[in-house]
Amino acid sequence: MSHFVTLLLFAALVSLVFAVLMREDTRARIRFGLTSFAAFVGSAIVVGWLMSPFPS
Amino acid sequence: MADSTTAAVVAPRPAAAVPACLLAWLLPGAGHFYLRRPQKGLTFLGAIGALFVMGLAMDSRLEMAVGLDDILASLFSLAQMAIGLPYLAARMLGYEAGNVTSVTFEYGNTFTAVAGLLNILVMLDAYDVAVGRKA
Repeated sequence: MSHFVTLLLFAALVSLVFAVLMREDTRARIRFGLTSFAAFVGSAIVVGWLMSPFPS
Repeated sequence: MADSTTAAVVAPRPAAAVPACLLAWLLPGAGHFYLRRPQKGLTFLGAIGALFVMGLAMDSRLEMAVGLDDILASLFSLAQMAIGLPYLAARMLGYEAGNVTSVTFEYGNTFTAVAGLLNILVMLDAYDVAVGRKA
């Protein structure tokens, strides 16, 4: 399993739990879950890109 | 949506708050099943259970570090223990050591710890549902 797929799975599962916990209505849950998922993946890509100049 | 419908029918049960929290700790989603919110319970069981199992598959270590010698290790251990019976079952099945040389070791640790931390939120949600603060 690649690192990116691991990130996607983690983001999807955590976003699902957050959405069910924090919203009551189905439509609001879907919207919140998708926003949370995009935030997880987007922030990971941005942070990864910012770290790319540093040597390993 | 069906959950909202169920919530409209099922009244708050303040006396069930403590048993619901205990059940929620023992197994993710069990507290919501007890409070007659099966959709929520199934979602939590599936998502948190999947996180924990995937963490084990990624060679996570299930430490049982308690005490004040290493506070961070103790907090991490508490986070993993918060998933309840699956943690104990995994330890009894021999998954406690993990594999520190595995490339996914740290990912696995993150998955198992986050699964436990999410289960703490689920326990609090079960309490809120029982006392009528949430549907």
